[in-house]
Amino acid sequence: MEKHMTVCPYCGSGCKFNLLVENNKVVGAEPLNGRTNEGELCLKGYYGWDFINDTKILTPRLKHPLIRRTRDSEFEAVSWDEAIKFVATRLSAIKAKYGPDSIMLTGSSRGTGNESNFVMQKLARAVVGTNNVDCCARVCHGPSVSGLMVTLGNGAMSNSICEIEDSKCILVFGYNAADSHPIVARRILKAKEKGAKIIVCDPRRIETARIADQWLPLKNGSNMALVNAFANVLITEGLYNKDYVANFSEGFDEYRAIVAKYTPEYVESITGLSAAEIREAMHTYAAAPSATILWGMGVTQWGQAVDVVKGLSSLATLTGNLGRPNVGVGPVRGQNNVQGACDMGALPNVFPGYQSVTSQEARDKFAKAWGVPSLPDKIGLSITDVPHMAMEGKLKAFYCFGEDPAQTEPDLNQVRQAFEKLELMVVQDIFMTKTAMFADVILPATSWGEHDGVFSAADRGFQRFTKAVDAKGDVKHDWEIFGLVATAMGYPMKYKDTKEIWDELRELCPLYYGATYEKLDGLGYIQWPCTTLESEGSPYLYEGNVFQRPNGKALLFASEWRQPLDQVDAEFPLVLSTVREVGHYSCRSMTGNCVALTTLADEPGYVTINPQDAKKQGIRDQQLVWVVSRRGKVIARASVTERTNLGSVYMTYQWWIGACNELTIHHVDPISKTPEYKYSAVKLETIADQTWAENYVQQEYSTLKGKLAKAADSVAATA
Amino acid sequence: MNRFIAATPSKCIGCRTCEVACVLAHAGDTGVEGLSPLTFMPRLTTIKTRDISVAVTCHHCDDAPCVNACPCSAIVYRNNSVQVEQDRCIGCKTCMVACPFGAMNIVTVPMTRHFAGVKIAIGMKALAQKCDLCSGRDSGPACASVCPTKALQIVDRNEMNQTLRQRQTRAAYELVGEAAAL
Repeated sequence: MEKHMTVCPYCGSGCKFNLLVENNKVVGAEPLNGRTNEGELCLKGYYGWDFINDTKILTPRLKHPLIRRTRDSEFEAVSWDEAIKFVATRLSAIKAKYGPDSIMLTGSSRGTGNESNFVMQKLARAVVGTNNVDCCARVCHGPSVSGLMVTLGNGAMSNSICEIEDSKCILVFGYNAADSHPIVARRILKAKEKGAKIIVCDPRRIETARIADQWLPLKNGSNMALVNAFANVLITEGLYNKDYVANFSEGFDEYRAIVAKYTPEYVESITGLSAAEIREAMHTYAAAPSATILWGMGVTQWGQAVDVVKGLSSLATLTGNLGRPNVGVGPVRGQNNVQGACDMGALPNVFPGYQSVTSQEARDKFAKAWGVPSLPDKIGLSITDVPHMAMEGKLKAFYCFGEDPAQTEPDLNQVRQAFEKLELMVVQDIFMTKTAMFADVILPATSWGEHDGVFSAADRGFQRFTKAVDAKGDVKHDWEIFGLVATAMGYPMKYKDTKEIWDELRELCPLYYGATYEKLDGLGYIQWPCTTLESEGSPYLYEGNVFQRPNGKALLFASEWRQPLDQVDAEFPLVLSTVREVGHYSCRSMTGNCVALTTLADEPGYVTINPQDAKKQGIRDQQLVWVVSRRGKVIARASVTERTNLGSVYMTYQWWIGACNELTIHHVDPISKTPEYKYSAVKLETIADQTWAENYVQQEYSTLKGKLAKAADSVAATA
Repeated sequence: MNRFIAATPSKCIGCRTCEVACVLAHAGDTGVEGLSPLTFMPRLTTIKTRDISVAVTCHHCDDAPCVNACPCSAIVYRNNSVQVEQDRCIGCKTCMVACPFGAMNIVTVPMTRHFAGVKIAIGMKALAQKCDLCSGRDSGPACASVCPTKALQIVDRNEMNQTLRQRQTRAAYELVGEAAAL
């Protein structure tokens, strides 16, 4: 049996393990003593690898390039030469006719790795000539990046995953670590065992709420009001660190003026919390010798998200909980390489290494390195701009790389209409996805397990992962495919391996310069900034309380609370919030093809509801129900549980039949453009004939699987 | 004293990694490919209520109701644990009714036998199924080894003695109104 060292392709915890291989087939996983996982894995790490073997449980692996010559014809298998020529010719024509900004590309936050994302954005910027590149950070921690960039100067976790357990107070805000990052949840448990105080702000009784010293079950949609009230308590009761604020921050007077109104009493009706419990939480937080704030999608997937991030960062600044070990702000990044896609410049406003596209100096540096006369200076489109820009006819081509927006974006009906309006849709993936079904051309890539590279864990930690098995089928590495497209568009680009790409980007990004492949060998873990070859990286940011802002000071920032856009009323009386499930990941194309994970949870997925709400509607546990919003209707299985708060229901977003994004609203944060996945008004309808409903789910599921399989199979027939 | 798996609710995050490990540990050589929702019957169950998440399983009682109840003497004490002798089990469910922890389950599985080198189906057999502490698995119970938060632990006499000693010491200090420095 062979063993190949890798990093888990699911969440951003950065767990290291060996893939066990027999006869070129992955047969198991064995944990390694990695920096963050210390020999532990969750169920996705242990049992989430068999999708590589093309189990075809949900959808088949792509094995040949596919072209659909007209939108109503079937996919046909073609040679790589023809597929690349097709993409390059069509992209060049659209660029010539409508300009480079009519084309949009995405990065991929998943198994492909940092190198491919670097090459993708190079193709976009140097060859297509647009900054229209973005990744799914937009729909998750985009607000954390935007907010923290403004207040502290760096969008990443300021602390390390390992440091969490040595913090004396953890304020968990809108973050369900047990389901999102089990291996981070482990650190919170260890902190508790070491005597830390745990404060949880979450409407649901999540696992961490169960063990918390204080649980603040705030009303859905009241984040900003609560954060402002926290600041109000810290200031009016003199709990803040006056020296720290005076020496290392700015904007205090304006900040104090805005939060003045948000007394704990004032926000009682907004948050549903008592003034006393709000005060108690801040007394605990301020008294701790070291305190850490962790947040997740419960903070970011709102129409008002960037403001809340800035507010949370200001709490850390007010109390001096930055710039030293075991403190700080931790937006714990969701996907295994969403930090990496951002690090590599798969964002519309920055080159790799967070160098602004609006900086002449940065543009000159990259233009010179890439041998082009100039690079675009206009900030590009966000991935959430795709639907309306396509509908308005401003976006003509969409090159979607390793993402499934037809499953993961809000208001899917609108997304589908937009995809149909595009003149060209290119999908580069490892699976036939719902998005791939809209493509004009599909480029099949090697999967995690079939290639080498570097991932960035949630806490800025670079780690190498290696190939375990040979890819089956006529597929190529993502970075090779981008190189071929660039070359066919008249810009010769060829790399021999990922190290060559990594070395090119290290030279261009001072933040990563010292993180060489050699240092990352084996269990090597280097957290950026790592600016010199001697450096071992930076476990925490802002050492010496120097912030990456013009005058080196942290900004204190507050905003008025805004209520969510969608409104509950007599017809749609419940709030739908979309959440994660521990055993599945994102669009589920990977975990949905893993036997063990599918055995634990499969279609149509659950809608969780409080027993009182369920009783009112006559809904019994495990019954199938319709969930209806102003935008759509899907079927789901009711899970009646006291962990769900009254007036709200929760669905996990990976189900393809019970697809909650048919229901969600396209309302985005004005700055980060992140959708308000956490608040859509819905109603539940009972289904009298449960036998019919069970059959309906099975039929819909088989039809969908059949369609996906046929699309991929037409390949085999003609190839 | 029999060994058993002790579960700590304050460490459990309800992820069910233990359940998958349990089923795989009893699936022979088939590996994950052999799993399916119909045959997925872990010998420990993750319970999640408003205030508790924890895996519940057999206590390997030292005076076990299941052992006492079985009319066929199919449940025995062996190797400091309670084990089911499947050959003698008739699927009468008496043990399932007797167990106060819900740790015993009756499952029906297809039976086969080999005849002249051919595998022949010989109908279904009901079996009393419960935690066997992964008897025969070199590295011990699979659930405890995979639990990412170490919420499951194998407890034996030695382990128990240490815990008892700690608690006795604490109790002694409490007699004089002091906190023990443990």
